[in-house]
Amino acid sequence: MQMKRRNFIKFLVGGVAGIQLTPLPWKFTDDVAIWTQNWPWVPVPPVGAVTKEKTVCSLCRGACGIEVRKIDNRAVKIEGRSDYPVNPGGICPLGMGGLQLLYNESIRFTSPMKRVGPRGSGVFMDISWDEALDILSGRISKLRKKGHPEALAAIDGNPNESTMALMVERLLKAVGSPNYVSMPSVGDTCSMVNYLQQGTGEMMAYDLENADCILSFGSGLLEGWGSPGRVLNAWGLWHDAHAKEKAVIIQVEARASNTASKADFWITPKPGTEAALALGIAHVLIKDRLCNVSFIENYCFGYHDWKSLDGQEHKGFKSMVLDEYSPQQVAGITGLQADKIKSLAHEFGKAKAPIAICGKGKGSLNGSLYEFMAIQSLNALVGNINKPGGVLVHEAMPLSDLQKLKNDQISLRGLKKQRLDQAGTSKYPFTNSLINNFLDAILKRHQSPVDTLLVFKANPVFTLPDTTACYKALKKIPFIVSFSPFKDETALMADLILPDHTYLEKMDDLVCPPGLQYPFYGLTKSVVDPVYNTENTGDAIIRLAKKIGGSVAESFQWPEYEDVLKTRASGLYSNGKGLVGYDASHPVWKMQKAGNRAAPDYSTFEEMWEAIKTGGFWFTAKHNYQNYSSIFKTPSKKFEFFSLRIKSAIDIAAKQKPLKKVLKDLGVAKNADEACMPHYSKDESSQDSTEYPLFMMPYEMINLASEWAPNPPFSNKTLLDNQLRNDESFTDINPQTAKANDLKQGDRVIIKSLAGRIKVRVNITEGAMPGIVYLPLGLGHTAYDEFSKGKGVNPNDIITTNRDPVSGQIVWWNTAVKLIKV
Amino acid sequence: MKKDHGHVGKKYGMVIDLDKCTGCGTCMTACAAENNVSVRKDESDKERSITWIQLYQISNGKKFPDTRYSYFPRPCMHCDEDGRGGHHPSCVSVCVASATKLDPHTGIVSQIYTRCIGCRYCQAACPFDARYFNWWDAYFPKEKGLERYLSPDVSPRMRGVIEKCSFCHHRLMRAKNQAYAEGRREIEEHEYITACTEACPVQAITFGDLNNPKHKVHELIQLPTAFRLLERLNTKPKVYYLSTKDWVRRLADNYRPGEFKRLSKGS
Repeated sequence: MQMKRRNFIKFLVGGVAGIQLTPLPWKFTDDVAIWTQNWPWVPVPPVGAVTKEKTVCSLCRGACGIEVRKIDNRAVKIEGRSDYPVNPGGICPLGMGGLQLLYNESIRFTSPMKRVGPRGSGVFMDISWDEALDILSGRISKLRKKGHPEALAAIDGNPNESTMALMVERLLKAVGSPNYVSMPSVGDTCSMVNYLQQGTGEMMAYDLENADCILSFGSGLLEGWGSPGRVLNAWGLWHDAHAKEKAVIIQVEARASNTASKADFWITPKPGTEAALALGIAHVLIKDRLCNVSFIENYCFGYHDWKSLDGQEHKGFKSMVLDEYSPQQVAGITGLQADKIKSLAHEFGKAKAPIAICGKGKGSLNGSLYEFMAIQSLNALVGNINKPGGVLVHEAMPLSDLQKLKNDQISLRGLKKQRLDQAGTSKYPFTNSLINNFLDAILKRHQSPVDTLLVFKANPVFTLPDTTACYKALKKIPFIVSFSPFKDETALMADLILPDHTYLEKMDDLVCPPGLQYPFYGLTKSVVDPVYNTENTGDAIIRLAKKIGGSVAESFQWPEYEDVLKTRASGLYSNGKGLVGYDASHPVWKMQKAGNRAAPDYSTFEEMWEAIKTGGFWFTAKHNYQNYSSIFKTPSKKFEFFSLRIKSAIDIAAKQKPLKKVLKDLGVAKNADEACMPHYSKDESSQDSTEYPLFMMPYEMINLASEWAPNPPFSNKTLLDNQLRNDESFTDINPQTAKANDLKQGDRVIIKSLAGRIKVRVNITEGAMPGIVYLPLGLGHTAYDEFSKGKGVNPNDIITTNRDPVSGQIVWWNTAVKLIKV
Repeated sequence: MKKDHGHVGKKYGMVIDLDKCTGCGTCMTACAAENNVSVRKDESDKERSITWIQLYQISNGKKFPDTRYSYFPRPCMHCDEDGRGGHHPSCVSVCVASATKLDPHTGIVSQIYTRCIGCRYCQAACPFDARYFNWWDAYFPKEKGLERYLSPDVSPRMRGVIEKCSFCHHRLMRAKNQAYAEGRREIEEHEYITACTEACPVQAITFGDLNNPKHKVHELIQLPTAFRLLERLNTKPKVYYLSTKDWVRRLADNYRPGEFKRLSKGS
């Protein structure tokens, strides 16, 4: 068609009319309105019915009560519970961020998996639960058929008293392996001290709320020590403006931590010399007659010099302390002033209810045996044991034993084999498990003695000091099975994943939180339906045992894990002293002091169990104070300044080898008498001070997860910009140290030790002791997602571990290092 | 605006005891969890990280071992009219979009995201750095599923708007609804507290109506140890602090020599 004028006009008119009729312009205008006013990339949280579920936080061992707010079946907020005995309403920042662990798919295993990529690459393939359990039970059955059940081993991060720990140990014993290794914790050292000095291997029970003077040897009261919700609340009580008598807080620590900064007195001995300081205080207490003489004379052993049955003279605590730990001598060791030690001792000795507490930082790792003994001896000197506001002595938690284990011939033969970590031998007579020895044993041999390793609630590749050794040892193990719900560093090395529920999805128990002054049993419950295809590890173990069959299956005859929990809890019922209800206006520490005699608030076991399932706790406030003639279960039936158990262990070993060799094997640098008493000896294994002139001290923070559980991303907001900047973390050093190394604020340095090197930036602060390099624990993950991975460095990478005398546990608190400016 | 007939309006405010505060950061986490604050990959850049309540570490500046650290938790101060002619809080007077308002009935300074045009005048005007700009979309990647914990009480913010502490205004709404449903006109002191107040494990934070003599905050702000940040700007913050320590109190404002008054007791 020819384009004439007429046609052109027609076309134009038609076009205008067409545009009027087509919806396109209206559509575009509408879209523009939507694009500018609506933001489809912003999530819109669905509304629904609001409910609240009560449970217990088990991210650490503290057992704080929490309440989860839900919208339909979606958990939206965690809050502290004010109707829970442990923590009156408060929880720590990590517990507050727990939902970010529950719902973060990129850090969780969504189903059982087997490894398909190279080890450590994190490439897994989904499999079914049946297939996963078949693979593992097949492997274990094969080991048993070959007659090597001891080649199965477990690393367990569950607390020693928990039912899960019993289950794991039972599985190993039923299969026939003695190689059950637990992760180190401060409870190991505390219970060893209590076993040696008081005769019972229970945890320390500190009546902090009723005390008026707290002498803390590095315990991070504000860094997450004990049950954070409880300790922080106690801190609030101590500092209440209306309190009649305020408690005096003395912090002994070489860093201006929050606890040190907020304490009434801050004492700074050189790290590793705390035992000497404690004994120096003991010296002043004895010399200036600030001791409780009647307690010492009547209920303590080894205070004075004594003669044993064989007629031999032995030195006592008093003469040792008076000879070797005068304030002047201690000042030389610790770098403190003698006057300061004296005034400190007077502050402690003159208080009505003073407590000396131990456990470095959060107490996630073990301490030093002699140091803890020295600290506990201070409590004995002032006689503040088993008194209100003192250190209470409890009997074992009244939980029932599980039914007797069934063993077949294979397992009996396996159990006769020696443990790889040598715990319990004459070298480590009082220790239950030594993970570093276990890893060493694997590293030393050409072929790994462990064929299959099971890992429960632990991430040793990240949390264990000297991670390189751990990584190498694990690499040598042919088959690793992880039960972790999270894609942590250790799980990424595994060949098979049997993911557990997270703590908000399952039922499990929490027994005796560290430091709590009354017997306590907490029970978590499933507050949301499992988000992924995971299974409670307790149930998985029962199913696994049934698949292995034979005597192993007979040892696990419970239908499900709740039945195991119930079996153990039946002891709580027959104990007849417990309470499952709690009135927040009567805190347990007041009830206990007032001599509460309330009868149990339940009449049948079922009633008690249902109440525990809803409320989440059982406790008893009845306590027999003092009662000194029957609480000490030591050989002398007294509190022992001089441990007869250490003495008899030395005597027995000395029958086979010379005494000198015995003491050397134990790692004791002093004579046989002092080996039985708390003492200080210089760490002889310290490296050459010209090559490595500085010391590195790892420290913990309340707002950074440094244990097994991942860090909630919320806590990244709480880190200061001189702790983490972009992906680089900082080391705190004193201006003097900075000057000596020619460093300025923000400079990059390499921290080098014998174990390795890491690169960090420098934060110059007067809160650091000269000569010490501080690094926070919890940064430097190589696993998880962008919120944690590659952020900062992990000090565990460069820790050179030594061996603590007698206990054989890891000395992780002083690594010799040097700084190299980049 | 309706006039109050005779009775004094509410003035919600907060008192933070700095001697009790341990710097644990639970208030920050509780606040972020309550108010759907998104977390980005890098939160170490403090000019970009969104923290409605922020902990500032302060030091007494002394040499080791006399060094002490303390902390200032800083929510929005919810400044008030200055009482000399009705000037509004500095953010409110600069807002061109009426996106931030001082509620005369509660004293809460609001922030209405859908009105905000993202000019950031208010952020510049705020003397307390309490306002945060959303440079990016909220970070909730689909593959993570973190949006599953979001609370429907608080709308997540979009790119290009300012956000800040609201004194958990939705909690006031919830408490009022509850009271209305029960036929009450007034809410009790404990019925409305902010998430940080509730979370503080040492009970360092107290929240309530500053005008109500029955509320604890009313009594606390009369204490000689009570003070506010940058008081001389006369923005009348409704967040008060308590401290017996002079070195802490001195850091609350820029004092000329000789101007700072020491407390008789404490150091």
